Amino acid sequence: MNAFETVLYDKLPSIALVTLNRPRALNAINIRMRDELWQVIGAVRDDPDVQVVIFRGAGDRAFSAGADITEFGTAPSPVIARQVRWQRDLWGTLASFSKPLIAAIQGYALGAGLELAMCCDIRIASDDSRLGLPETTLGMIPAAGGTQTMPRLIPPAMAAQLCITGEMVAARDALGIGLLNRVVPRDELFPTARKIAEKIIANDQRAVRTAKEAVRRGLDLPLVEGLELERRLRSRLGK
Amino acid sequence: MSTARSVECRVAGPLAYLTLNRPPVNRLDQRMLSDLAQACQRIVDEPAVRVAILGASGNVFSLGLDNELLTAAQPPDFSPLASLAIPVIAAINGDALGAGLEIALCCDFRIAVDHARFALPETSIGMIPSGGGTQRLPRLVGKGKALELLLTAETIDASEAFRIGLVNAVVPLPELEASAEHLAQQIATRAPIALRYTKEVVRRGSEMTLEQGLRFEMDLNVLLQTTRDRAEGLKAFLEKRPPVFTGE
Repeated sequence: MNAFETVLYDKLPSIALVTLNRPRALNAINIRMRDELWQVIGAVRDDPDVQVVIFRGAGDRAFSAGADITEFGTAPSPVIARQVRWQRDLWGTLASFSKPLIAAIQGYALGAGLELAMCCDIRIASDDSRLGLPETTLGMIPAAGGTQTMPRLIPPAMAAQLCITGEMVAARDALGIGLLNRVVPRDELFPTARKIAEKIIANDQRAVRTAKEAVRRGLDLPLVEGLELERRLRSRLGK
Repeated sequence: MSTARSVECRVAGPLAYLTLNRPPVNRLDQRMLSDLAQACQRIVDEPAVRVAILGASGNVFSLGLDNELLTAAQPPDFSPLASLAIPVIAAINGDALGAGLEIALCCDFRIAVDHARFALPETSIGMIPSGGGTQRLPRLVGKGKALELLLTAETIDASEAFRIGLVNAVVPLPELEASAEHLAQQIATRAPIALRYTKEVVRRGSEMTLEQGLRFEMDLNVLLQTTRDRAEGLKAFLEKRPPVFTGE
């Protein structure tokens, strides 16, 4: 099944399990991993057997520690870097993905690692996880959507604090501010993620994706227009 | 009993009590929706009413739409409730599922009994919520928790609902009425126009850019300076006595 080097792709019944697989580098996302994720995500999107996607990290230390900084500045030119970024818009594709996405987080979820998790619909983490957007401590800003996804997910005051200070939060605090849906002991992490996936799979998949679309698009609209969107999507479902 | 309205409306001083009354589980039918709209209109027509409490009879708040409405072409219209200018408190006496929860989402505060459970289970029957649930729930509890509830269709208990901010308070059943009434009485002592403006500016302001929202807040403040209540509030503060607001 596996033609990839940095990503493991397993198919459980109705579930695509995508494992970030560079455990010795804390599953840092390098160019290769980004390109392989892009391919996996395309396959998952088009595979009619897949109803839900679960992302996790290999090893026991990290979901992902973020972009691989050893590769920074290695693109042939900024113009090419930008072009590739748009041609393989992994983050944009995930943010508008129609199938439900679940992140099962253990250990560190930092920078682009956390941003990947924030593109997901549901985030479960082990109780020893630590999450953060440390970009400003490295003279950068989050670049995989974090400055936009985080304040839409958690109270804007907390989002500003995390984006500006670059500080990490422990799982329990992340649960308190709504950055995580659930916190569980490590050995229950994957079973919990799978149980949630099974619950989703038990529902009608057209309805599930339509509900996701209503929330995702509706939050960018004034309430009145969001309610109108909900009505249109409901009639599209034929009910 | 057969002549009783399926949504009762009782006005007592500054408070209006709306009660969903379609035993045993307060399922919403077309008549109930029009009764709800009429009850809301009565509140609009009674300027003395400053706060409304929306409750339900029995030990269930509402289990949602009846079969006819569930399959109707038109989604249920909760806008008469959602567009009330005065503060509305939902006193949730038991399970609030589907459209039953969506009605509560149209209110400004939610107080629930400890045995109440909550869900938007529509995706489990091949539908999506149609009374505003996909829009109001994420605005209230955030996108992450809202998506979990919508995509899994799972039911949560009152303590989880409190933890995620879906309800403002959880109380034992015997205390529900008193808690809702205590909150309503407290709100009713505030200046009525200021209450309505506050509700309006928070709701509309959150859909504007910050700059526009601040401008809107300032404009409403300027308007409030023309009210008697504003002068009374200032005077009472200086005289160290509780203010008496008339809504003028």
